[in-house]
Amino acid sequence: MSSTSLSYREALYQVMHDTLAHDPRAVIMGQGVDDHKGTFGSTLGLAEKFGADRCFDMPLAEECMTGTGIGMALNGLYPIQTHIRADFVLVAMNQIVNHAAKYKYMFGGRYEIPMLIRTVVGRSWGQGAQHSQSLQSLFAHIPGLTVIMPAHSQRILEDYPCVIKNVRGPVISIEHRLMYDLQFRTTPVQESAGVTSHLVREGKDVTIVACSIMVLEALRSAEWLAQKAGLDCEVIDVNCVSHPDREMIVRSVRKTGKLLVADTSWKPYGFCGEICRMICEEAPQALKKPVVTLGMEPCPCPTAKSLEDLYYPNLQTLSNTIVELVTGKEKHDIALPDEHSMADVYKKFKGPF
Amino acid sequence: MTRPTFQNLYEELFYLSLLIRRFEEKIIELYPSDKIQSPVHLSIGQEAVAAGVCHDLRAQDWLFGSYRSHAFYIAKGGDLCEMMAELYGKATGCSGGKAGSMHLSAKEAGFMGASAVVAATLPHAVGAALAAKFRKLDQIIVAVFGDGATDEGIYHEALNLASLKKVPVIFVCENNGLAVHSERKARQTYDILENAATYGLSTAHLAEGWCPVKVRSFFLHELDQIRKDGLPRFVQIDTFRYKEHVGPGDDWKAGYRSREMAEAWQANDPLIQDKALIAKFDPPIQAEIHDAVAFAESSPWPGVADLLKDVY
Repeated sequence: MSSTSLSYREALYQVMHDTLAHDPRAVIMGQGVDDHKGTFGSTLGLAEKFGADRCFDMPLAEECMTGTGIGMALNGLYPIQTHIRADFVLVAMNQIVNHAAKYKYMFGGRYEIPMLIRTVVGRSWGQGAQHSQSLQSLFAHIPGLTVIMPAHSQRILEDYPCVIKNVRGPVISIEHRLMYDLQFRTTPVQESAGVTSHLVREGKDVTIVACSIMVLEALRSAEWLAQKAGLDCEVIDVNCVSHPDREMIVRSVRKTGKLLVADTSWKPYGFCGEICRMICEEAPQALKKPVVTLGMEPCPCPTAKSLEDLYYPNLQTLSNTIVELVTGKEKHDIALPDEHSMADVYKKFKGPF
Repeated sequence: MTRPTFQNLYEELFYLSLLIRRFEEKIIELYPSDKIQSPVHLSIGQEAVAAGVCHDLRAQDWLFGSYRSHAFYIAKGGDLCEMMAELYGKATGCSGGKAGSMHLSAKEAGFMGASAVVAATLPHAVGAALAAKFRKLDQIIVAVFGDGATDEGIYHEALNLASLKKVPVIFVCENNGLAVHSERKARQTYDILENAATYGLSTAHLAEGWCPVKVRSFFLHELDQIRKDGLPRFVQIDTFRYKEHVGPGDDWKAGYRSREMAEAWQANDPLIQDKALIAKFDPPIQAEIHDAVAFAESSPWPGVADLLKDVY
């Protein structure tokens, strides 16, 4: 199968463009979607090409925008809404949680709210406490919301059209700013009926369940440890955090007996706990070692680089954690990768936003 | 159920208003039996607003309401049997027993979902109007809310957006002067109409919200205008909530408002004063309500097959 190099940003632009081109119900709305930056390039020029009524700016009123999207969806449109930082969506939680998520159920199935809410998580360059939060566990906690976290251009190319076409309710997409400029190898799009998890690396020694950019980190770590120590890591990109492929995760843990969960957010009451719940309920006997979890330190995100580097797990701590879990030894002589912060590695992001 | 033939518009609107009142009085009567296990925010005292506003709306014109929406559900043409069944929590209710009193809806009649969160449906109305304009539909959207909703930030956001996007929505403020038990002067520094006008909306005020005929002609003028120009409008209709904020009782003894104020309003209330018409219409109205109760009583409960239905 032929493959192409496509950045996360280009993939986003492509699906936004193609959705407007092929779906007359679709409109893109959000702060700055029609300006000269075009939501980090993902909506650039679409207002000019498809018209100001298909791609338009909105007042800085997140709750009202979301509620407006609900009304538009009720009346036959498919709103795609953007938030240049996921943190801003907290202002819209009343409409997302109290209304969009419940509309279908609360009214006995008489109404549906198909819409896509795109959010972007920031990291590094001093994003700080209110530009960096990764809120997947808040959203995935709520029945009625479908939550996806694309970690590859292919996921964008396949999953966005899939949810727009097939999900008859609100979908929250949590994109990661650091990935926008990364190139990914993509293959021709396979149309699928549903959005789910993906086994992105097969292995036998340990199962790493990850989401968003932690999938990339897990893959880098896995490659390093394969080369340096012959460790064989299996990596699962959960991708659809609201509807993970439980069977895939349980099957993998039954095979490896060891589970590491790597999240982009805080550990308490979150993604790590949810994956653990899955295993505890369905296959506790499969675990040969206690589960290990990785996430952000339990504080708001600091802005100073020296503190931020401590706040997020880095490739070295991730690799060391894997080695400890697989070998059962805290002291080992396996070489670890250098302690570079993720922003240094994915260095194309140099701010300011 | 066939309704009587009406001699004039007053009779027609009176019948509808009295139907709403008697329906809610039936809720009060049933409430101690625990057959209706739902927080009820009664419209008693405010019926004329719903009857007058809805008279010239078509089924394709959508109306969004709040948790105090029994009157608008009925006035917009929602089915009485499905409403009572919903209050009972029965499978035949308008939302299959998942909505209760606070989330009534009648899609076929253009009565869209009501929310328990104050002011929350205003942007839904604006969005629906935006879509109506985008799709070039022959459709007017109406957003109904109380004066308490104007406290909320999203109210101001919605008015601004409607004016900015020039969409066919009419905002209807039912001003009963109260948010739960707090009067307006304890909450608001602005005059509601003056404030709405600052967003560039055309505004109008009707003080005589007790009279369904006056409400109807007042609102018909607004409808005529919006059908011509498609631009958003704002109206305030004063009204009076006779009952407590939530629940079946009176609360005159609570002391936050005076009985005299209510009596002054009630002196104009045709549903109290026009005894001849009450006597004429009570029998067919009671028959309608009887049928609705019988339907609810005989309907099945929703069950395990319904619990996880329609989540996604």
